[in-house]
Amino acid sequence: MAEKQLDTTTAASAFQKQWFGDLRRRVFDERQPYALLQADVPFELFDLAGIPAVSNQWWASMIAAKRQAPQFFDAMDADGLHGDLCRYCSLGYASTRYPGAGEPPWGGLPTPRLLCARLTCDCIHRVFELWADAFGAELFEIDHPGAGDLPVRWWELGRHQWRELVEPHRLAFMVSTLESLVERLEAISGRAFDRNALRERLELVNQQEEVFDQVRQLIATAPECPVRMTEQITNVMATQWVRGSEWALAHARAFRDEVQQRVDAGVAACPGERARLMWVGAGLWHDTAFYTAFESSHRAVFVWSMYLAFGPDGYIRYGLDDPMAALASRTASFNEYLHNPPWAAEWIVHQAREHRISGALVLRPRSMKPAGTGRLFIERALEEAGIPVLPIEADVVDARAWDGDAARAGVRSFLETRVLQ
Amino acid sequence: MKEPFVIASWPSVPVEIVRAAGFRAVFVRGAPGPTPTADRHLEQGIFPGRLRHLVESALTGRLSDAARIVIPRTSDTDYKCFLYLRECVRRGVTSALPAVILFDLLQSCGAHVGAYDAARTRALLDELASISGRTPSADDLRQEIVRANAARAAARRLLAFRRIVPRVTGTEVFPLLAAFWELEPERYVAAVDGAASAFAKRSALRGPRVLLTGAPVDGPELHRAIESHGAIVVAEVGPWGSGAAGDEVRQHDDPIVALADKYRADAVGARTPAASIRHWTAGMLDDVDAVVVSLPPEDAVFGWDYPALRDMLQARGIPHVCLRGDQYQAPTAEEHAQLDAMISTASTLQEARHG
Ligand code: SF4
Ligand code: SF4
Repeated sequence: MAEKQLDTTTAASAFQKQWFGDLRRRVFDERQPYALLQADVPFELFDLAGIPAVSNQWWASMIAAKRQAPQFFDAMDADGLHGDLCRYCSLGYASTRYPGAGEPPWGGLPTPRLLCARLTCDCIHRVFELWADAFGAELFEIDHPGAGDLPVRWWELGRHQWRELVEPHRLAFMVSTLESLVERLEAISGRAFDRNALRERLELVNQQEEVFDQVRQLIATAPECPVRMTEQITNVMATQWVRGSEWALAHARAFRDEVQQRVDAGVAACPGERARLMWVGAGLWHDTAFYTAFESSHRAVFVWSMYLAFGPDGYIRYGLDDPMAALASRTASFNEYLHNPPWAAEWIVHQAREHRISGALVLRPRSMKPAGTGRLFIERALEEAGIPVLPIEADVVDARAWDGDAARAGVRSFLETRVLQ
Repeated sequence: MKEPFVIASWPSVPVEIVRAAGFRAVFVRGAPGPTPTADRHLEQGIFPGRLRHLVESALTGRLSDAARIVIPRTSDTDYKCFLYLRECVRRGVTSALPAVILFDLLQSCGAHVGAYDAARTRALLDELASISGRTPSADDLRQEIVRANAARAAARRLLAFRRIVPRVTGTEVFPLLAAFWELEPERYVAAVDGAASAFAKRSALRGPRVLLTGAPVDGPELHRAIESHGAIVVAEVGPWGSGAAGDEVRQHDDPIVALADKYRADAVGARTPAASIRHWTAGMLDDVDAVVVSLPPEDAVFGWDYPALRDMLQARGIPHVCLRGDQYQAPTAEEHAQLDAMISTASTLQEARHG
């Protein structure tokens, strides 16, 4: 992996380590109940209930970063789970179900008190039910009503007119489901839920995302990209899991200040930048070096991924008199925004223009079928907007079929023939 | 004039609602053959054949006579198909398309799902009624429930010819069961009664009894392939076959609530809770000699049930085969060989059991 350019990136990684250490202490030593969550579940509710929470996607990326994913995937294959089933949301499950197959980070996840998932993709119910079963733990499912109607330029409404963003019946369903979840959390923690605390937390989340919006602006407008996409992701993800906490807000500000200083001093991630690339899709966690591989050869730098950009547009909610409704409106349509037409394509093209993107690499997830939908609409919309597209076929955590050299050669030829003429 | 009709993408759209609003329901099913227009928008390996064909027909103007296209949210790919069709209209890819509506039926066990489904069922009725100008009363709806329940009872009579000592092959009976969804109930009952009296005169069929499970099929092609080896498919998972009838719809409750409850629980698909499929499958195993698990290339769901099913089958000594092909394409030579081996094992076991 490339050397870290920002001090805040080092601090973010250190925080993550310390945070998980802390979690392990709370869960193992103090035997506090913890929750295992799909990434799009509102973490705030768990935190306010005093229940530590681990995200499935974060855990999967930890396993992949430790290069343990192939062992668990092999165990899944050997158990007859066919190769077309999702290998991202299920990696954590595999680390529990097949404990002898590999060495999960920090000795593996202890039994959670509760698992919680939104039923977005059809298989989430299956994976979480199996996982809950393997642990012998309780599962809380948040069903995912379909959007019959959603404004195309959703990011313009999310902040102030979020009630118009989600159809009233979907919003009401989400609110009542989250209320039921809160009841479960109250029962588990033995603490009454504090709605004022939720409002305050969401206000802090707003502030945090406003800071990230400033960072996004800096990246979009600086003459050359001041911070690599991989470092953007490290900084954003470390705060995302604890969003609205004191540390998260302080870290977001420190990150912004460092980026601002770099811009002021004319420091670029890749000086002499010639191509600004965007990555569309989940990150390639098993080969993050891929994202810096074209800097010295082609002066091509990855500028954009959804991880930083989605925060400000997806999370900020002003007008918090009914904080649960605001939270529900944020939660209701994540997947639509990120994957489905018209919302994903419109947003991504808009972002590409703002960031002066010269080429887009679009992930074609091999085994993540639902995440692969909407891709053709996105690719076409980018090309129609004059942004050349290179589809990259890969699995984000399963490195087994990934030919890093061939993929790099493909990008080089894409840069030479379509981006840099 | 042609009878006004509504296209639906999976039998989780209540026929009672469609009929009460004055329409005939036409359900999309898969077929062999290319779908070049749909392929421009639908990613490879994700959408089942029925949805590729639906989009192909929609984008080439062949559905322009339908009053509406109703897509239930009972699978992720159906939902995506709804979004894609709407996007194609928005982008001017097609103009000859009737309005596409989402029937947002949820199927999880959450505390608020029942009320949500009832409201969505009501909304579907209102939407269809606004086109036909025919707003049915609660009694009209009950009348449709009674008619469909009579057809369900007929479908259950057919199932009796398959259980324990089968008198009819799966290839033969599957289309009759599937017809539940599209025939007027009275015609359906008459057709079933005719067939049933013929089946009753038949002697028992010989050969191992096979359960077809995994992803639900919407045609009898796999039945034909399995039965070409001398077995009898006596049950299959899903609303087109053994599940066509399911439980009766409650006749004395609020009809909207009763229909929403029925379809949430009974319309087996990708979002049906795994436990309910597991329960159904376990209940079938006493009366079968072998199991075929169909996991087509686009499967993202049913494959998760496989290890537990395999363990259960092994514990009970029931041989099985997993087919990974598309249901509309003939199995490969290798798959035929696997079927052959499974069926001869099942025959041997069957003979040993019956002396
Ligand atoms: S597509 Fe993505 S979100 Fe859906 S199950 Fe697969 S990995 Fe999870
Ligand atoms: S980015 Fe998409 S695929 Fe990944 S977890 Fe989120 S919804 Fe699932």
